[in-house]
Amino acid sequence: MGVSKKISLTVFGLIMAAGALMWLIQLWRGLILTDMNNAYSWGLYVSALAFFVGNAAGGLVLSSMIYLFGVTALKPFARIGALCAFANVAAAMLIVLPDLGRPFRVLNLLLHPQIMSPLVWDVIVLNLYAGLSLIYLYLLMLPDLAARTGILKKITLPVKDPAGFSDTWARRLAPFSLVAAVGIHVVTAWIFATQGARGWWHTAVMAPDFVAAALASGTAVVMLVAVLCYGTADKFQSAFRIMAIFIATAFFIHIFLMYNDFVIHAWYGTDHARETLAITLQEYGLAHAFEVLAPLAGVVLLLNARVRKTMSGIMAGCLLIIAGIFIHRILLMPAAFNQMPLTLAPLGSQHTLWSVPIASGRYAPPAETFVSHHSYFPTLVEILIFAGVLSFVCALILVAVHQLPVVKEG
Amino acid sequence: MRRGMVIDLEKCIGCRSCAVACKQHNAQPAGSWWNRVVTPGSDRHLTASTPQNLYFLPIHCQHCNNAPCVKVCPVGATYQTDDGTVLIDFERCIGCRYCMAACPYGVRQFNWESSKDGMQRYEYQNNYTYGYPEPFRLDNRLVYSPVRSKGVVEKCHFCAHYQAQGLDPACVRACPGKARHVGDLDDPDSRVSQMIRQMNGFTLLPEKGTRPNVYYLPPKRKEV
Ligand code: SF4
Ligand code: SF4
Ligand code: SF4
Repeated sequence: MGVSKKISLTVFGLIMAAGALMWLIQLWRGLILTDMNNAYSWGLYVSALAFFVGNAAGGLVLSSMIYLFGVTALKPFARIGALCAFANVAAAMLIVLPDLGRPFRVLNLLLHPQIMSPLVWDVIVLNLYAGLSLIYLYLLMLPDLAARTGILKKITLPVKDPAGFSDTWARRLAPFSLVAAVGIHVVTAWIFATQGARGWWHTAVMAPDFVAAALASGTAVVMLVAVLCYGTADKFQSAFRIMAIFIATAFFIHIFLMYNDFVIHAWYGTDHARETLAITLQEYGLAHAFEVLAPLAGVVLLLNARVRKTMSGIMAGCLLIIAGIFIHRILLMPAAFNQMPLTLAPLGSQHTLWSVPIASGRYAPPAETFVSHHSYFPTLVEILIFAGVLSFVCALILVAVHQLPVVKEG
Repeated sequence: MRRGMVIDLEKCIGCRSCAVACKQHNAQPAGSWWNRVVTPGSDRHLTASTPQNLYFLPIHCQHCNNAPCVKVCPVGATYQTDDGTVLIDFERCIGCRYCMAACPYGVRQFNWESSKDGMQRYEYQNNYTYGYPEPFRLDNRLVYSPVRSKGVVEKCHFCAHYQAQGLDPACVRACPGKARHVGDLDDPDSRVSQMIRQMNGFTLLPEKGTRPNVYYLPPKRKEV
């Protein structure tokens, strides 16, 4: 392992340790250490769940393009795809734990699962997809495992033609991984979209939009790792071109679905729709500009063949896309929670719309007891826990690339 | 039997005794309010929204028939009893707060910290305690406990502990305006059913399709 890798690993380790420490403190003191309250009851952790689930889409894109649609140019990156998928699904499941008030009771999900709850569906598909990604990674690495020593050699399936076996089974599994992968995005979107109480979420466009945004960011994650592992040699240029076009298509579909939803709601102009749009486009106007313009800039960069020849160009493009989709996930919350579901036109003044405030549940001398608006901003504890999980993803990928035959030499 | 409540907004004088009785009887942690009384249209409590117009609206769990909180709960901690009451099993809840996102009425309260820490933050005097002193189990599920642990969600339980003793909920007994009534909504001859029929009873947010078991009777115009 090179020096720069060692340094990166140390940094990731330190951030993970800081996150773990913060989680311990949060376990001890409670979620009072976050900036959430009774009226604004989900924050960075749940946004991060949506973010990581989306990032896991890359594995599916690669495996189905190669094995269902025969795009062989992408083959060198197949293992990276499966690895990124697994790392991000694992992170998605991990970031839910600090959001739970009683994480040690998580076993209740197995003991008393309620089949009506979209959260139960999500736990099922996320586990399924994590398992499938691991199997996929194993299958793809099989031809090179036998050449290794120690434990890797021991877990190698004794088959006559490892390369052929790996190829056949990867092709057979591809449809299942496609279904499971679309499943994680659709079901994660349903967690929100089923909620009639929250106008911002309760739209049929959420699931397809979730898939589109995920395909953009998930592919960007794979492309980023691929360029870091393989560089920008000529033989990879056609793969990078295909991925760039794919990312651009997915991103534009996402933008189309999002604004399509905005337009029909804005046109009819119910008070609720006007309020959620005002929160997103005015109060969080800068964030909204970023969620659109940053990935747009990223797409413009990646679509340029000259940019794709430089490491820094591809990295910048991918990071812009990932960051933009991250802010998109953050914006899931403000318009959902700052538009009180219980609003009414007081008798006798029918022209006004009045939000019924909610007991915040947290006492602070200067703050109101009952609130109908909260400018949420994650606390240091929330940010460090999130950063810890993000570092976990990076460290896992780094270690796997180093220890396993993920990257083919030469 | 479908347990329901009728709140007569004409009779309500806005004293908030119900909110206080609820908080005290149910030993609610500092900062938590299962029951709140608002003055629709006003910026601050007890100010009229427009001249000549002032009324009060008490709000707590509406014990919905089609309750989104019950449907989202991944572990069945929030559940519905045979009489339609929506309860929370304090020992089962994992604290995911999905139910808080799902409830359109904003009545669910989370324990962001331990009761003790909350009391200290509020500077309650040492050893001040309040609330019904015994835990209460229904079908062996803990639906009330005088000391709350952090990390679980709670809300109005229609005073299940008092109903087991044949008593009305604390808010009903404490109301000096005689604005609150409980009874069987399935029985067309019950007092609550008659009140709803004869005095144009309505529910909150009918468009959300939650079909609440809590009904309101409209107020007449009030002068201030
Ligand atoms: S008012 Fe809210 S908490 Fe009560 S039953 Fe209805 S959805 Fe559930
Ligand atoms: S917070 Fe508790 S009661 Fe609410 S949905 Fe989660 S487990 Fe159920
Ligand atoms: S106790 Fe009765 S009169 Fe007083 S606020 Fe409550 S419902 Fe109204």
